[in-house]
Amino acid sequence: MTKVAIHRRDFLKISSWSTGGLMLGFTVPGFSAIATTLPFSECDFFQPNAFLRIDKDGTITIFVGKQEMGQGVNTSLPMIVAEELEADFQKIKVEIAPFGTLAEGAHDTGGSMSVTGSWDELRKAGAVAKNMLVNAAAKRWNVNPGLCKAENGTIVHSTSGTSLTYGQLACDAASLPVPTEVTLKNVRDFKLIGKEQRKKNLKDILSGKNLYGIDVKIPGMLHAVVARCPVLGGDILSVDDTAAKLVPGVVTVVQYSGTGTPMNVRAGVAVVATNVWAAMKGRRALKITWNEGPQNQESTDLLFQTFKTRAKETPAKIVHTAGDVDAVKTSKSLSLEAEYAAPFLAHATMEPMNFIAEVKDGKCELWGGLQLPDWTVNDISQKCGLKKENIKVNLTAMGGGFGRRLQFDFAIEAVKIAQQLNKPVQVIWDRADDLKYDNYRPANYHHLKAKWDKSGKLLTWEHHVLSTPIEWMTSGKKEGEIPSENVGGAGKDFWYGIPNVKTAYTPLDFNIQRGWLRGVEPVQNVFAIECFIDEVARKMKKDPLQMRLDLLKGRQPFEGIWGGTVAPERLAGALELAAEKIGWKNKRPKNRFLGIAGHMFFCDSYAAHAIEIEKLGPKKFKIVRIVSTIDCGVVINPDGLVNQMEGGTVFGLGQALKNEITVKDSKVEQDSFFTYELIRFNEVPPIEVYAVKSEARPGGAGEVGVATVSPALCNALAAAGMRPRELPIKNAGYVWET
Amino acid sequence: MATFSITVNGVQHNVEAEPDMPLLWVLRDILNLTGTKFGCGVASCGACTVLADGHAVKSCVLPIQSVENQKITTIEGLSADGNHPIQVAWETIAVPQCGYCQSGQMLTLAGLLNQKPSPTEDELEAAMSQVLCRCGTYQRIRQAALLATKKSKL
Repeated sequence: MTKVAIHRRDFLKISSWSTGGLMLGFTVPGFSAIATTLPFSECDFFQPNAFLRIDKDGTITIFVGKQEMGQGVNTSLPMIVAEELEADFQKIKVEIAPFGTLAEGAHDTGGSMSVTGSWDELRKAGAVAKNMLVNAAAKRWNVNPGLCKAENGTIVHSTSGTSLTYGQLACDAASLPVPTEVTLKNVRDFKLIGKEQRKKNLKDILSGKNLYGIDVKIPGMLHAVVARCPVLGGDILSVDDTAAKLVPGVVTVVQYSGTGTPMNVRAGVAVVATNVWAAMKGRRALKITWNEGPQNQESTDLLFQTFKTRAKETPAKIVHTAGDVDAVKTSKSLSLEAEYAAPFLAHATMEPMNFIAEVKDGKCELWGGLQLPDWTVNDISQKCGLKKENIKVNLTAMGGGFGRRLQFDFAIEAVKIAQQLNKPVQVIWDRADDLKYDNYRPANYHHLKAKWDKSGKLLTWEHHVLSTPIEWMTSGKKEGEIPSENVGGAGKDFWYGIPNVKTAYTPLDFNIQRGWLRGVEPVQNVFAIECFIDEVARKMKKDPLQMRLDLLKGRQPFEGIWGGTVAPERLAGALELAAEKIGWKNKRPKNRFLGIAGHMFFCDSYAAHAIEIEKLGPKKFKIVRIVSTIDCGVVINPDGLVNQMEGGTVFGLGQALKNEITVKDSKVEQDSFFTYELIRFNEVPPIEVYAVKSEARPGGAGEVGVATVSPALCNALAAAGMRPRELPIKNAGYVWET
Repeated sequence: MATFSITVNGVQHNVEAEPDMPLLWVLRDILNLTGTKFGCGVASCGACTVLADGHAVKSCVLPIQSVENQKITTIEGLSADGNHPIQVAWETIAVPQCGYCQSGQMLTLAGLLNQKPSPTEDELEAAMSQVLCRCGTYQRIRQAALLATKKSKL
């Protein structure tokens, strides 16, 4: 058991959560309850903080501050509260914490940080409520609180066996002061955490009742479909909307200019109609002349040629050094160089971008799914000339996020359109819009070098990363500042113990919007790192797994990019578990080969993949099975974790095999799932997921399962005599049987 | 505008719509049945799959005039209480992550089982490979589909 102090700053902004007369039931940590002087009949519920409410009829509602997009926060986060509250999870109601009921930034959902970032706060939230309910019961019975125990939604008097439910105690508890410290449970006493729980809205999802942003209907709402400038930074020259306005159902056509950073919204012509289909038809009938601007001749072909040339030149920035790589001289036979490349990628959430805005009398109301609602409000306030306090946000579930909804270009569009109407309007993107105007994972290129001595000791590691940085799009280019995209193993968080290390970065400009895609920079860098370490091991004729384990043993724990401690031995543990489960040391049938790769993600999690393939021809193979392992400390909801890791594996497999965005004349060439190919049902081999048993503080699981699929697969192919170094591997003529 | 008669989940509707309006938008924007999802608009992802006279069809490319007088089943009508064997199997396996594609997944399977109560693995793969899941729940979809297939044979 751990005692923790409760500060008022732990639970901010409760007071702005106004539900009219129901305010009476509130207590705010650090403040005495305001209900004390009021008759009980005016108390309806007990709400000690923004995360839970206990109604006097016994209903317990837990509010989820993070945004649900499939990653399971609406199960895992309430489990943490319920564990400390000692409530019956089956009876708990789960709701989205309304925007504004938490501190600025607390609704933000990204970086796989939901569990790890909320862990302490949610445990305290549950423990505070439990403490107050215990005190309420003790007061009612006039006994020592030490004799009252919280159990499954009731407080039990241990000597008499008398009990009261949380509902019966809600109004008593609401009148008590909030404790200044509470005791948290010992990890080993957890009853709920670690046991599989189902999504509360599972039945709703399976019967079509779960509402996503796209499903929200506001009375009088219109729908808008937008023709966007085909080149970023261009503008509208002229619009002939005569034919569009003749389409039955079309109400009006409005225009707006593009915005700059951070979202770089494209100039657009919006067809507004009474239904989506009419708006789509109307857009097809528009005749627009665009001024594409000066940056309209860029292509990915040229970008990758430039990457290749620049990779061997002096980098723009040295990111991290240890020892002195240049002082080490070895013969060519004791060294290796290799280059790796990966393309721009789109998020392609199944729910296309959409957003609803209504602007009336200087007030603005928004509906939709957002991963970063505070940034959205702040930027909309600036870009659209609205006062922040006049913007109300209604958050919805998302049909996939993967980082796409960290950006909010679609929300700015909705507001810009709504400002020209007097009705609520939903902007809706079709799949072509989604693929052509995404914020893409940067295209990236890597040049690596290593040297070793005759005894087989790896002496140097050099990694030059080249990419088209996200920062230049979201913050703009700043004189004298060179961003880098080296986190995830290509900077100071490189996890192998090698005495001389130099990592570097070169940014290249490119005129499409970039953004954060599930797994972000680690996915870019880990592909190169985990393929190259494998190549080095093979050239040294060492076992690629054993070499990794030896190098991890040679690295002490160190401070992570986002704080906390990176423990290389935990990565070794994830690799060893993957090796054991795939049967790394076992004899295999002819033509079967294994590959392995591991990495750590900055949300305090470590993961590995081991993949078995069957070689069917010179460039032909079949994936026999995939093992995915994770050490994310304490596992909250085991089945939710497995689902995330299975999904991460499929996500990574798509990037290994076939996902690719190409650009010609500064325009993305993919416009449907026929051209931006995703993994389908028949292509998924058996995936097994295993978690390392751990009592460590929980880490995140949303992204860590993606990065190591590509290198593990390429390493398995290398074991079979193939070595793809460019993703997706289909471009080099590799074919796979399903 | 014209009037079209369709039966959706057992209820007959006379719908005022442009003849080329896809069934998807009739369901979503006119009948307010939002369980059928928009995913691509060109029949490449299967999120919009519904049953038309028992066959799994991509509602995003089916003009309303082409399904007149047909019996449409959407996820809202697959069962009255969410207890169709396919829904039960999906629940048992805890298939969904975001859940957005799952109505299309389940109705695709329902269409297959209407035609082939005991599909071969190839038939199952051919049907289910038409529906994308970006969360990557395919392994669970396969398990649930096999479970539902067994159950529907009983």
